[in-house]
Amino acid sequence: MLWYVIRRLLLIIPTLLGLSVIVFAIARLLPGDPVGLAAGPNATPEVIASVAAEFGLDKPIPVQYWTYLTGLLQGDWGVSLFTRRPVAADLAEFVPATLELVIAALLIAVVVGIPLGLLAAIRRDGIFDYLTRTVSLGAIAMPRFFLGLLLQLAFAMALNWLPLSGRFPLIEFPPDRITGFYTVDALLIGDWHAFGLALQHLALPALALSLSPLATILRMMRASTIEVLQQDYILTERALGIPSWIILFKYTLRNAVSATLTVIGLYVSWLLGGTVLVETIFDWPGLGLYSTQAILGQDFMPVIGVTLVIAMIYLVTSVIVDILQAVLNPKVRLQ
Amino acid sequence: MSQTDTTLPRAQLARSARAEARARAIYRFRQSWLSVIGLAIAVVLVAVALLAPWILPYPDDVTGAVNPAVAFQPPSAAHWFGTNSVGQDILTLVIYGSRISLLSGLTVIGLALIIGGALGVIAGWVGGWIDEVIMRITDLLLTIPSLILAMAVAAALGTGIWNMIIAITITWWPTYARLVRAEVAAKKQEQFVTASRVLGVGPMRLIGRHVLPNIVTPVVVKASLDVGFAILLVASLGFVGIGVKPPTPEWGTMLAEARNYMPQYWWTAIFPGTAIFLAVLAFNLLGDGLRDVLDPRTRR
Repeated sequence: MLWYVIRRLLLIIPTLLGLSVIVFAIARLLPGDPVGLAAGPNATPEVIASVAAEFGLDKPIPVQYWTYLTGLLQGDWGVSLFTRRPVAADLAEFVPATLELVIAALLIAVVVGIPLGLLAAIRRDGIFDYLTRTVSLGAIAMPRFFLGLLLQLAFAMALNWLPLSGRFPLIEFPPDRITGFYTVDALLIGDWHAFGLALQHLALPALALSLSPLATILRMMRASTIEVLQQDYILTERALGIPSWIILFKYTLRNAVSATLTVIGLYVSWLLGGTVLVETIFDWPGLGLYSTQAILGQDFMPVIGVTLVIAMIYLVTSVIVDILQAVLNPKVRLQ
Repeated sequence: MSQTDTTLPRAQLARSARAEARARAIYRFRQSWLSVIGLAIAVVLVAVALLAPWILPYPDDVTGAVNPAVAFQPPSAAHWFGTNSVGQDILTLVIYGSRISLLSGLTVIGLALIIGGALGVIAGWVGGWIDEVIMRITDLLLTIPSLILAMAVAAALGTGIWNMIIAITITWWPTYARLVRAEVAAKKQEQFVTASRVLGVGPMRLIGRHVLPNIVTPVVVKASLDVGFAILLVASLGFVGIGVKPPTPEWGTMLAEARNYMPQYWWTAIFPGTAIFLAVLAFNLLGDGLRDVLDPRTRR
């Protein structure tokens, strides 16, 4: 088990290496003029040349890659052409914001999706089943940015219950940084006022991001529960007179969740990409907003950095999902 | 099929079996009313897109005509969906936007299918190191969220509908490569393939006539589901400000612009947003229905 985990974690390294080659190649080989953009529209050729030299963009691409890679290993993720700040510093600031949003969305999706899916499966073909099925089909087709806009219209503008955008009120100081998660940091220092504010700001974006995974988890949970309920051993238990709630919670839930877990793991990557749109709508200062600005400015060091971080989170999550699978289901052997 | 009379001539027998299968498929499709709704919306969308030049209420608006005198009119008899900040008719823009969305959605999936399918066939059929190389690149590309990759490529290529289509295709072909490879590799092991090979059937004919027809079902189901998600990705790119540039009307771009005028001028957002939602929903329902028809084992 321990060896398996270590081996899987070590396998992430060559994957990231390959990914860095691909992303670097895409960033450098595509047409586009990042230096010209950074130097400004009125820059003389001398200024452009000096900007190119400053960022090492005048060297051959393999040399640029080698410089980047050796820097990466020393914690130097390059410098943003525009903010002129180290990418590593930017990432340290934006990663917790995005992770907070993604984890909150995933929590909503799991906590609501799994019980509803279970319920739909028990009351199969009933009104509740049809209702959740129809609504979840719509939820999967709903564009996140449109949903975000509708939520803003309803809860921030019309009802005025929740803040329109941002991560914290501009006029107040966020809780001191411990983990970078505002909600967690506020709890750690026992500041309930800050916790409430952070939660209020988190609510709408997390909701907008959670709807699609919620619907998928619900459908997956329903399907796998129905499959488990049709197994012979469940019939045996029923015949033995075991109460249905024990059958459901002791013998069905565990097997059904194990199948749903794979979907949840796959969704992490989707959520990390999906934050781009939700962060744009809600001005959430995370990886999505950062990478959008970088992409629009063809500022490629941040883009490469963000891509590598997201890939890393995705790969680590898939290892965690595989381990959880083995814990939940003894039939799965880790090798 | 067991009821068919085996004394019939072979050709006629085949035709009646096929007719029966088709009748059964239509029955299965019609049984699920959600797929019928999906089909209906998709048909309306395609019809609207095809007929757009003739049914636009204000044709000048799609070429960038402005009419500030009627800016921000709420929905009315003259402007069913209202007007935007420069007085353009939103219904006109939404109708014309369907052309952009459908054209790019269908083209992306078509191209991804051709590129990914070809690479998948090569990887699955040839195997060995070629398989390894193709699949490792596929795996790597799949670890990058498609939206971010598409945004980066589209931004570097510059604006324009074809650049956007290329960018999305680059993010999409790996899923088809993976699917087709798995199917081809599985079929390659089957006895009918070995038998054909023993009979001296060449590889091109073997793949084209015997392997590919057998893997069509999962590919078609995935493709029809994907058209909806490709339309969503097109709108997402428009929304973050990459892709088609005004005055060409695009649903995502319209929605991004409408953000600035919330909540007073809600109609500038609601109609393009609903159009995206309906288009994605239609192809999702259609894909689900097709799966039920083509592959009844996966039902429910």
